[in-house]
Amino acid sequence: MPKKMQAIVLGVMCLVLSIGICVQIKTTNNNGKTNEDKELNNLKTQVLKIKEKYNESYHKLTNAQNELEKVRENVANSDEQLKKIKEKIDKYNTLLGVTDIKGQGVRVTVSDVSATNKIASFVNSKDIVMSDVDILEMVNEFKNAGAEAIEVNGQRIIPNTSICYKDNIILINGKKVTSPITISAIGFSKGMTTINRPGGYLDYWLRDTKHLNTTFKEEKNIEMKKYIEIPVFKYAKTVN
Amino acid sequence: MILVAIIIGCVLGAVIGINLPIISYTYSTYLAIAIIAALDSVFGGITGVLKGEFDFKVFISGFFCNAILSMLLTYLGTKLNVDIYLAAIVVFVGRMFLNLTIIRKYYIDKWSKKFEEMKKK
Repeated sequence: MPKKMQAIVLGVMCLVLSIGICVQIKTTNNNGKTNEDKELNNLKTQVLKIKEKYNESYHKLTNAQNELEKVRENVANSDEQLKKIKEKIDKYNTLLGVTDIKGQGVRVTVSDVSATNKIASFVNSKDIVMSDVDILEMVNEFKNAGAEAIEVNGQRIIPNTSICYKDNIILINGKKVTSPITISAIGFSKGMTTINRPGGYLDYWLRDTKHLNTTFKEEKNIEMKKYIEIPVFKYAKTVN
Repeated sequence: MILVAIIIGCVLGAVIGINLPIISYTYSTYLAIAIIAALDSVFGGITGVLKGEFDFKVFISGFFCNAILSMLLTYLGTKLNVDIYLAAIVVFVGRMFLNLTIIRKYYIDKWSKKFEEMKKK
């Protein structure tokens, strides 16, 4: 076989070999990315499934509560004493925050979007954006101003509510709350306008944290959703 | 001449390979073992050329048969739950080192002779 032919054959074989090696390297490198994508998709599917289950359970719970309410009303209508008991139950449920309510009040919206976009990347985020303490102070301000019910970004504030800060996330009732923060309070709206007073916590907060945008609104009809989980008292016993 | 052909083949192959789509990760084990088999055949071919024993039919049949057989062995291994492809790798890599030794010795002898001739002159 002439040397030229031998060279051509070896060259072609090397070409095929190089193609195989390149494709293999590309496949191996891509595998890590594919695995990540797969994991992400799996997590997304799991979240969707849990959300679906949650919605289904919530729907069932609402139906059961409506039925219970109907039964209570039927029973209460037939007996004067039972009617009083029903009123008592309704009152305590409202106090606990396990009923939907509406009424006049005020709504404060605080957003720090501009701040997080501009400088949060190189400054400790807790120094310039809102923290759990700010929300806690605002809730206290509302309570002092006579609020009967308070809600922060759809999370109803009940006696057992915790407001905390963990891994750069504000948690209320164990749920993640992000900017903009909307604090709604039902109560005597004119009385609660004192929250916007100079020297109040809102004023202090705005002066201390330069990048916040706030809106303060009095509203005639604020609607609040009930706190879904019913607080359970395992250790506390009633003293008669 | 042969060296130039090998370099051109490798560069062209790399350019084409980079632009080709990837294969499914499931089949990458088969491709890997086929590459090892092909690499062994190429080294065998180079050794054959250097020794003057290069046979086109033997080379081509070795190139494809070894690759296909090793892939079939890998497939059988997955079915039997035994890593048979490891045995194929050991054989191919062993032969590769053997061929590399022959190539190395050939060029060392060649250069040594040239060096001695230059000294004599």
